[in-house]
Amino acid sequence: MGALADIVTIAKWEVKKSFTMMSRDMLPLAIILFVLLVAVTGFSAQSGLHLQDGMYNVATNDRAVAELLASDNRFTVTLLDNNPLWVTRSSYDLIVMGGQVIPSNTEKGRSALKTVERDYAKYVNSVYTRQDDLFAAYPLWIDTQGITSELSFTATQSGQRVGTPPSRGPPVPAGIIEEIAPPSPALSVTEEELRQQLVQSTSKDTQISRYTDALSSGTSTMGTFKTPSQLSPPLPFDSIILVFVFIFPLYFTSQFFMMSIMNERIERKGEILLTTPVKTSSIIIGKMLPYFLGMLAICTALTLWIGAPWLILLPLIPVIFFFLANALIIGMLARSFKELSFISIFFSTVATSYLFFPSIFANVHVVSLISPLTLIVLTMQGTAWTAADYLYSTSLFWLTGAVLFYIAARNFKEERLFSEKGLVTRMREFLSEILSRNHPFMALFLLSGFTIPFVFMVQMMCLVLFFNLPMPLSLICLLLFAALVEEIAKGIGIYTLYLRDPGFFTAKIILIACGATALGFLIGEKLLLFVTLAEISDSVFGSILFLSLGSLWLPLLLHFGCVLIVACCLKKWGARGFAPGLGIAMVVHCCYNLYFILGWLG
Amino acid sequence: MKSRHLSIIAKKEFSGLLSERTILLAVLLQLFVALFSSFLMVGLTSMYDPASLSQYSRFKYNVGYAGTDTDLLYSLYQSPDFRVYRMDLSTGVAALKERKLAALIWAPDTRPDAEEPVKLTLYTLQNDLQSAIVDVKLKEVFLNYERDLRQVRADRLSEQPMPLEIPPARGAGEFFEFVYGLLIPLLVFMPAIIASALIIDLITEEYQHDTLETLVSTPVTFSEMVWGKILACEVLVPVQAGIWLILLMANGIAIQNAGLILLHVSVSSLVLILLGALTALHYRERTAAQFIFSTALVVVILFSLALPSNPMNLLTRLSVGMAGTEQWLVLAAVAGVVVILAYATQKYAERISRINQA
Repeated sequence: MGALADIVTIAKWEVKKSFTMMSRDMLPLAIILFVLLVAVTGFSAQSGLHLQDGMYNVATNDRAVAELLASDNRFTVTLLDNNPLWVTRSSYDLIVMGGQVIPSNTEKGRSALKTVERDYAKYVNSVYTRQDDLFAAYPLWIDTQGITSELSFTATQSGQRVGTPPSRGPPVPAGIIEEIAPPSPALSVTEEELRQQLVQSTSKDTQISRYTDALSSGTSTMGTFKTPSQLSPPLPFDSIILVFVFIFPLYFTSQFFMMSIMNERIERKGEILLTTPVKTSSIIIGKMLPYFLGMLAICTALTLWIGAPWLILLPLIPVIFFFLANALIIGMLARSFKELSFISIFFSTVATSYLFFPSIFANVHVVSLISPLTLIVLTMQGTAWTAADYLYSTSLFWLTGAVLFYIAARNFKEERLFSEKGLVTRMREFLSEILSRNHPFMALFLLSGFTIPFVFMVQMMCLVLFFNLPMPLSLICLLLFAALVEEIAKGIGIYTLYLRDPGFFTAKIILIACGATALGFLIGEKLLLFVTLAEISDSVFGSILFLSLGSLWLPLLLHFGCVLIVACCLKKWGARGFAPGLGIAMVVHCCYNLYFILGWLG
Repeated sequence: MKSRHLSIIAKKEFSGLLSERTILLAVLLQLFVALFSSFLMVGLTSMYDPASLSQYSRFKYNVGYAGTDTDLLYSLYQSPDFRVYRMDLSTGVAALKERKLAALIWAPDTRPDAEEPVKLTLYTLQNDLQSAIVDVKLKEVFLNYERDLRQVRADRLSEQPMPLEIPPARGAGEFFEFVYGLLIPLLVFMPAIIASALIIDLITEEYQHDTLETLVSTPVTFSEMVWGKILACEVLVPVQAGIWLILLMANGIAIQNAGLILLHVSVSSLVLILLGALTALHYRERTAAQFIFSTALVVVILFSLALPSNPMNLLTRLSVGMAGTEQWLVLAAVAGVVVILAYATQKYAERISRINQA
């Protein structure tokens, strides 16, 4: 109960402190800026965003076509007579002559052609949706039905050709054939509803409305009916906006938390707090609580605003937790404001990419589930996800967040907070702090076990990064990076211990330390794998990352050998030996992986 | 104001950045974003234009067809992308579940000239890369069938759209707009935003670390100090933007007028840097200054984007070689804003140093 009271008190302090700091002639300006922001948003919604204006240079001899093209800002349209048009055609990206579109043979010309194609389709739709007889204009409707396959994603993911080898007759299913009633030939929605939906989809003129529609289109009355031209995967750029709507405020608020931590450290202002008989964990939780609640409130308000289901808050909580944990560490690590800015910009870019890029493929591929945002996209679309999906996409966020909090709590004391050493040195000191002096082997064991979530996260990023490179290249890149990341994670504990006390490592102790590290890594790896990553680990990519579920002694030997290489290099050449040691260990690791993959493929 | 003092301050800030190796992070960041955007492009290409990936291009997909025979069945037989099997619905769905088919189409017995529409049912696999590709390929066949049906029912239409013959697009071209119309202005402008965040850090740091008095006791005046910091940030912009352009060009993206792009970015970034400097001088505290400045930044950028031929749009146009003489007008306008802000900064800095001396 005492701890709880402490937390509440510190949370109150934090709120009070930030409000007194803010009030210093900041509120009036903030209000003015907010009003300006609303006004500017309205203005830009009205006039549109003019980022791509005048990209293409086009010419035509037809007044009606010129009008059609000029309605798109991207074109600079010239109206010419037949002769001059034909003579000067090479100076334009595209010309329209006698109802014929002729693009220039350049990348830009082809791009202009695509834009004309889209604009023309929009125009044709606007003519057709005005027809009284809608079903004469749109005679074909397609009802799309998704079927879940019992087979895994392995085949497509590994880049193999899917489908049966060519055969004479029609394919015959091997399993039981369930009787399926033929679908009714009539549409279940009225002509007027269809017309409205068509009008809506063609009126998406401005870039802005396209995005806002996407946010609220969760409850379309249309169901699964589409005209042929609507039949393609949903526009992924909409999830860009989703990310910014949800992630940007979170990032912004976590900046305040970062700054609050930093402020405690400037000129030792936080010393008073540390002298109070309050546990450091209470201080940290208390300081964090207001920001956590604030972020949650922002997300709730956003959810209410766009009318989305409450379920989307669930995947956001681990994201908030992760952001705060990182803000805490960054606030404790940075020595100056510049450093704080750069690290936080770097972190937010990386985190945003991790969150955002997979969710583009929300409708396409299971890999997209590594980002919790994909769950949000799915919820908005009305696609259900399971508790296993939730665990799969959020567990890494929970785990890494928790580990970072632990490291921060252990280091939240005078000599760490107020030191002025370099970034890398400080990071090492932070690690050194959590490596117990009395039980170094236990500490190494636990440390390498707990690096696993970080390793997986980095490797997941590599997976996403390399996923779409051409096949052999992506494998090689993944192979090298996966090995390097693992070796760094394993070596870092030994490295820290070595720098703390170089004399500590005798031959016997090196062996035991390497054993503890290898064992910790192996157990952590298998444990997390078991919980979450079964789906990914089925594919070829997964098999590189998480090879060898079957036998346990082989990977243990590999981990042990690799750490031993690093440790021996350290022993021989001191701190300078770390990088070459990592290099050698990486090569060994790669050879091991190659042998098994080649064996597996062959 | 002595230029030697300015360069001393600027050098001091640079060496600070270098010794902290934070600049390394910025470079790393650039590389990271460049890598990711190339990933994005390849990924999107494979999704929207699967034919561009050779491994998928000459592959025939098994498609089942159930229900009534129509012209669609005939054109599916004609299509080089599909191997079509006539089968009944239940068998087809079972085969689809076992991935022996890529898609299954069911057609009703609606006549082509009927009052009501023809409603096909398309069964595909959920959450699958391959279905996305099959969807795109089937779309062409469906569009042809739609055109035929529309022809049959043409006399029921009251108005025909003006005809326009569009040749089929060859090759990619889909990402031209993404690269030149979004990526380039965004990437080239990012250093300007980083630099303006940096100036706030540099100025508030002097206040919050109480190092200001030491600095002012040297022969360097307060306003010289401010301008030296502004200089340091401003020099970073063309350097970083230049690295971007080189990176993009190394990626095979041809960029025209690179020199002019750097000129435009350098001038417009001064607007942001001066705004940052003013905010920092006013608040002298990082949290408040950064908060106000970021909000102001959103307002300024959104507002300028809503104006035709804004500086960001000019970057796009310059990079595709479409900027005319109007770019000099825009440049002059931006330079005008810079002069006003510079005057304000100078006056404000003088006032602060007067108060300090008093």
